[in-house]
Amino acid sequence: MQLDITHLALEYENKDPQEILKLALDKFDRISISFSGAEDVILIDMASKIKADFNVFSIDTGRLHPETYQLLDQVREHYGIPLEIVFPESSEVETLVKEKGLFSFYRDGHQECCGIRKVRPLRRKLATLDAWITGQRKDQSPSTRATIPVVQIDAGFSTSNHKIIKFNPLANWSSAQVWQYIVVNKVPYNTLHTKGFISIGCEPCTRTVLPNQHEREARWWWEEAVDKECGFHKANLVRNESGVAR
Amino acid sequence: MKITVVKKMKADGTLCRKSANVIDDLNRLGLIDQIDEFVAAEEHEPTSQGIALALKHNVDAAPFFIVEEGDSTRVYTTYFLFLKEIFNQEVSEDDEIAEIMAQNPDLSFI
Ligand code: SF4
Repeated sequence: MQLDITHLALEYENKDPQEILKLALDKFDRISISFSGAEDVILIDMASKIKADFNVFSIDTGRLHPETYQLLDQVREHYGIPLEIVFPESSEVETLVKEKGLFSFYRDGHQECCGIRKVRPLRRKLATLDAWITGQRKDQSPSTRATIPVVQIDAGFSTSNHKIIKFNPLANWSSAQVWQYIVVNKVPYNTLHTKGFISIGCEPCTRTVLPNQHEREARWWWEEAVDKECGFHKANLVRNESGVAR
Repeated sequence: MKITVVKKMKADGTLCRKSANVIDDLNRLGLIDQIDEFVAAEEHEPTSQGIALALKHNVDAAPFFIVEEGDSTRVYTTYFLFLKEIFNQEVSEDDEIAEIMAQNPDLSFI
């Protein structure tokens, strides 16, 4: 299927999440919602109102909070969906733990553990799909998510032979809009949110934060902020766009 | 085939870390001579050729790789994929995952 993703991203930039989700579910058969066990649960609720038959997967790193496991099961029952749980390769986790222990991320940074427990299984899963749907929002992290489009080619996981499209239907929604949707539609949610967690990830790497602090501050707080030196400053791209012939 | 590498030049005139690493690696692999053109995207020069190419190809970080062959143009934003597909180089899964994560810091939030 040939889709002009840049054009679609512009066309759908100001549309409701439900319209973006409908586009995604209509256009792709091999598509799945990635559910992290947090506020992205509203994508499942929205999808259930668009069609009965849709796919959802979650990655079980083995280090999630008990409340998150409870929500995963609650969602499965509430929506009557076969929630697929994707696990890391056990031999890779065993090697990591054998060599570096259970808390290597506090010492060596989170990349290695996240690579084994999240990104490798995600890549394996995405290799079976043509598109996926995430709950990423611009307001979650001004430094890394400020410009996420509602639909994009997933450059990280695509190859020349297999393009993977990523839909971010909630990109333009605020946390307040998400919570209004949860309350109005009586969507099951992670009880960690009532305990002060704004961001929900693995138990050892997530903490509560103060009001108005951003998601990044709730995760891997012992590490430096993201290194952004290789990015192009948005203002440069905008100025260039207005002033220079391509 | 024409291969262009767009590298980022910081305001102080030095290369950004990933651009520098990639150029070192191309040297180490003996592939540097197969790159037809290096173009700089200059941090403080929004009209620089590299910034124009980033805009044209909708890319938001350096380095990236443009491969033109006849009428087709392929743009690679991941170095390992470029190495694999253009130069048939073996890349370890550890290196691939590390690069994917470095380019997509949000992935850890999944
Ligand atoms: S968030 Fe922490 S425990 Fe979970 S995969 Fe990443 S480093 Fe490992």
